[in-house]
Amino acid sequence: MSERRETSRADANERSPFRLSRLPVINLTDLWLCLIILAACIGLYVATMNFEKVSDMFAQDVPPEFFPRLLLWTIGILALLLPFEHIHLRRRNEDIDEHRTVSIKPISFVTVVLLALVVASMKFLGTWLAMTLVCLALPLLWGERRLIVLVPYAVVFPGLVALLFAGVLKVHLEPFQLW
Amino acid sequence: MEPLLTGLAMLADPFNIMLIFFGVLVGVTVGALPGLSSPMAVALLLPFTLSLEPVPAISMLAALYCAGTFGGSITAILINAPGAPPAVATAFDGYPMAKRGEAGRALGLAAVCSVLGGIFSLVVFLLATPLLAQIALKFRPPEYFALTVFALSMLASISGRSSLRNLISGAFGVLIGTIGIHLTTGVERFTFGSYELTEGINFIPVLIGLFAIGELLNQSQSLNVVYERITSVVVKLPSWEDFRRVRMTILRSSGIGTFIGILPAEGATVAAIMGYNEAKRWSKNKEEFGKGAIEGIAGPEAANNAATGGAMVPTLALGIPGSGTTAIILAALIMHGFRPGPYLMRETPEFIYAIFGAMLIANFMFLGIGLGGAKIFSRVTLIPRTLLWPSVFVFSMIGAYSFSSSIFDIWVMLIAGFVGFLMTRHGFGAAPLVMGLILGKLVEESLSQSMIMFDNNWWRFFESPIVVVFFLFTVLGLSWPLIGPLMRRLRERLG
Repeated sequence: MSERRETSRADANERSPFRLSRLPVINLTDLWLCLIILAACIGLYVATMNFEKVSDMFAQDVPPEFFPRLLLWTIGILALLLPFEHIHLRRRNEDIDEHRTVSIKPISFVTVVLLALVVASMKFLGTWLAMTLVCLALPLLWGERRLIVLVPYAVVFPGLVALLFAGVLKVHLEPFQLW
Repeated sequence: MEPLLTGLAMLADPFNIMLIFFGVLVGVTVGALPGLSSPMAVALLLPFTLSLEPVPAISMLAALYCAGTFGGSITAILINAPGAPPAVATAFDGYPMAKRGEAGRALGLAAVCSVLGGIFSLVVFLLATPLLAQIALKFRPPEYFALTVFALSMLASISGRSSLRNLISGAFGVLIGTIGIHLTTGVERFTFGSYELTEGINFIPVLIGLFAIGELLNQSQSLNVVYERITSVVVKLPSWEDFRRVRMTILRSSGIGTFIGILPAEGATVAAIMGYNEAKRWSKNKEEFGKGAIEGIAGPEAANNAATGGAMVPTLALGIPGSGTTAIILAALIMHGFRPGPYLMRETPEFIYAIFGAMLIANFMFLGIGLGGAKIFSRVTLIPRTLLWPSVFVFSMIGAYSFSSSIFDIWVMLIAGFVGFLMTRHGFGAAPLVMGLILGKLVEESLSQSMIMFDNNWWRFFESPIVVVFFLFTVLGLSWPLIGPLMRRLRERLG
């Protein structure tokens, strides 16, 4: 009986997309993640050492660095488990690498850079022009070539949003300050 | 009775009804659009509510929350692309029904079951919130600390597959909450000399960044995905025969959904999947599941909408969010000057009843919209992504900016978005981070107060039975991913 159960488990393991026996103990991507998180924790822990010192009586025995340090220890300990977590997940037939085997497309990084440039330019261009810029540049970057749709959209949509926020909701928008 | 009537009377203003309708329209649209989600929509709509009175503002957000959960089922049934995560299970049987020409029947069933689930949970909301708030009034800082730790431990089981990563996300959220001036001592923490950081990181730009910008970057990876065009659909109300067949499923799933919703940090997605599994387990026609079983639609739809009312219970009674979206609604309450928790029920009960009324109205509104406008809403997927996502960015940018008219907040949003995009890729959930960020202050405050009360003696936490119970639940919740499979294996061995 137990032999049959063992065989069926071995069969299931063989049929399963992930074979437990062939799994490395450490997942390298997660090891990197673990190291990054640990480095961040160490860096932040060092930062807590530079917090202004206050007397215990003033701090009522709960100094300002107490809670952040408690959290950093918790995160650090949890992060140490990350490189081994894939074994537990694969037992449940889940693959943590499923979504990250394909590398991030360059378009995502270019998009971030474009958005950062728009935000950086907002101080000089003002809110309305910055919105117009993003409505024009982002669709072009993402392959929109129908100018007959794009141009009216880039003009009308930011205008309506600016009108709604500045006119109706009374939000102060950044003015144009290039000159 | 009087506060209930006062609360309902607050909604009688046509302007409030109009805002609830607007919330429902936005909710169904956003729910129907794959990629856009109700937390994102609530976060984006938050800046609009700044100039509104609290009742219409929170009512609109609550209506959006209810409708957004339902909206996802439209595209799940018609094009097999769930507009929102809670509708994933609806697609299992909804799409096969649509393929065999019964899309109208499936949509009608989804709308009716959603409304019934929603109403069931609202009745529980109406009864449970005052009771829970009354119990919570007896909570002292140690009990609050234990409760928030329990809520944070529940993050282990929300969105995403990895409990460990969710916990790390949640802890990072709490850590971000510590940035700024320490309330007790006035010491600056993690400000690194930046003036803008002294007041701490505003959670609105972080929410918008994580949910909207993170998803925008995610969408930039799949620009070529095209959804198939929808054929004509006439939505039908379920026949008496259909209703008779699913009535027990609706009742069971409504109970499951409400219970899951009440649990801190658990949301509609978990409820829907459990509703589907239970519908299958109890069904006499198990073989029909996955091929177009009507119980396969009724189960998840009743459960996911029931979770919305359930999730409002801990949010309003304890100040502990029941889901990612209610975490944002909680942020909105704080923004409007309320202190969510038992005092809200004691001081302004009519406000809570007004939210109940708004959610009830929203349920009936989306029933009408679901039955009458499903065809139109399914067409929102035809909006080109190249125009949709720049519009989302514009709203995100101005939304983050409008809170304190600061460009610094837009930078926070952008950084949160990029970090959120990378986090999601590596299995770290955005919702746990948001929950951690919102609960962070409460955890630290209650811990500090408890430590002062106990003269720095940790053992004295265990003097309170409520604290012990919450800690036991926490340990059980955290160790369940390890204990569960062990117990399953043990059961297998014992035959």
